[in-house]
Amino acid sequence: MNPDNKTWRAKLLLAVILFGMAAGLYGATLKIDYTWRWNRVPQYFVYKNEELHKAPFDGRVGKITRQGETAVIELIGDAGEKDRVTVDADAVEVSEDDLLFEGDTLGATHQWRLGPLTLGLWTTLWISFFAGIIGMVLGLITGLCRISRNATLRGLAVTYVELVRGTPLLVQIFIFYFFVGTVLNLDRIVAGIAALAIFAGAYVAEIIRAGIQSIPKGQTEAARSLGMTATQNMIHIVLPQAFKRTLPPLAGQFISLIKDSSLVSVIAITDLTKSGREVITSTFATFEIWFTVAALYLILTGILSQVIAWMERRLAVSD
Amino acid sequence: MIKASNVTKIFTGRGQVVRAVDGVSAEIAPGEVVVIIGPSGSGKSTFLRCLNGLEQFSDGHIVIDGVDLADKKTDINKVRREVGMVFQQFNLFPHKTVLHNITLAQKIVRKRTLKEAEEKARQLLVKVGIGEKESEYPSRLSGGQQQRVAIARALAMDPKVMLFDEPTSALDPEMVGEVLDVMKQLAKEGMTMVVVTHEMGFAREVADRVLFMDAGKLVEEGAPEQIFSNPRHERTQLFLSQIL
Repeated sequence: MNPDNKTWRAKLLLAVILFGMAAGLYGATLKIDYTWRWNRVPQYFVYKNEELHKAPFDGRVGKITRQGETAVIELIGDAGEKDRVTVDADAVEVSEDDLLFEGDTLGATHQWRLGPLTLGLWTTLWISFFAGIIGMVLGLITGLCRISRNATLRGLAVTYVELVRGTPLLVQIFIFYFFVGTVLNLDRIVAGIAALAIFAGAYVAEIIRAGIQSIPKGQTEAARSLGMTATQNMIHIVLPQAFKRTLPPLAGQFISLIKDSSLVSVIAITDLTKSGREVITSTFATFEIWFTVAALYLILTGILSQVIAWMERRLAVSD
Repeated sequence: MIKASNVTKIFTGRGQVVRAVDGVSAEIAPGEVVVIIGPSGSGKSTFLRCLNGLEQFSDGHIVIDGVDLADKKTDINKVRREVGMVFQQFNLFPHKTVLHNITLAQKIVRKRTLKEAEEKARQLLVKVGIGEKESEYPSRLSGGQQQRVAIARALAMDPKVMLFDEPTSALDPEMVGEVLDVMKQLAKEGMTMVVVTHEMGFAREVADRVLFMDAGKLVEEGAPEQIFSNPRHERTQLFLSQIL
């Protein structure tokens, strides 16, 4: 059998299985009598905000000038005051010469606003970004300490890694928010980012340590025999090679970080997960929102893994 | 140029004490080519690696160009600039192109400008016969080509001495010649060289002096004709009878 034929059959089988699973999911929801309201979801990404404009004084309406999308309403007060209000042309609620009392609705303007899911996604994105950068730096320093000749530095690095790896992230976030945050008077966002960064740093440290140790000794010997200092050797020879080798596990770690960032919702940071929960309380579209939230996380992690795959391809030119 | 006196290197581990190099004394004059031969495990590579401080020796003194390596105040990085080394496994930097392999240390150690460094690198690449490979990565080169780049990389630092640690042992037989040719040319130009090798033909042809080491000790030394045709020591005789 030729190989093309074989992959074709494998792909068909995969499609059948995936379709079967989707059908099963659909069947399951039919059984529990749940009404899907996907049409409610988009408004939580962006929505049109309506702002009403009211009459500031008693009087009457003067001229109404329509110009394309907007209309300018002139107001003439009983005491002779004058005013102009600009509203959307299709939302004018008065006509010329109407009598006005203070507080009457003249019209409305509409503006597109970002909904809670978009804002939550943005919060998740930048919290993960900063926690990732800080975690990387922390991990690099700790990884270097871990292989240092200085026993104190080594001991500190091991203690840090073991403490962080041995306790749940959720507990660490609570400790950071309630204890460290109180002692140092930290903002909840700072506490959240710090907890995530310190958590990621411990894992990154182990990845970096393994990466550095995987570089053959001969590389260091060659660099040192050319007169490079230990630091120059680390920066120019060992770390670039270690970075290339550790890219796949680092990618996994940062993808985990994005997902783990959902835990900061417990200290009332309105990230994607918390936004999702808030939307559910007002819509009761529980299934739709959780599926949407999952899809949004998937988009973030998917983009990240594409970026890292691209970096891997670029670094592969020397292979 | 190099004066080693009573150099001893002791490895300890798992309750064992191994005297890898045991009281070796040798002097190498400027322009001299010295070849160290001996069975594997005789300590010849370890001795060579002591000469640029890649191994810290436990006892004795090594003085290179008037600088004592055993002196705690000696900046080993300064010594290493003057002592080039070529390794059995080439140890090229795989993430850098051939040209960058040769320019990096010139720039950050010798503080040369990029232009100077590249000029020097290109000259040396032509000299070792691979001028056209400067933008390749090491993984694209054959073993012989890689080793010649490694020689160029060491030469780019303008060393006063070149150390060769079994430079042809990891090569396919048909590539040994090209590397030895480069080394012969270097010797002809008057470079001071210390070579650990199993290439007896090279030793016979190029060496000014041959040292024979066994079990960490310097057993015998002399001119190549004398060592190869008329070895005085029993162990030298045995070793040469096994390999020749």
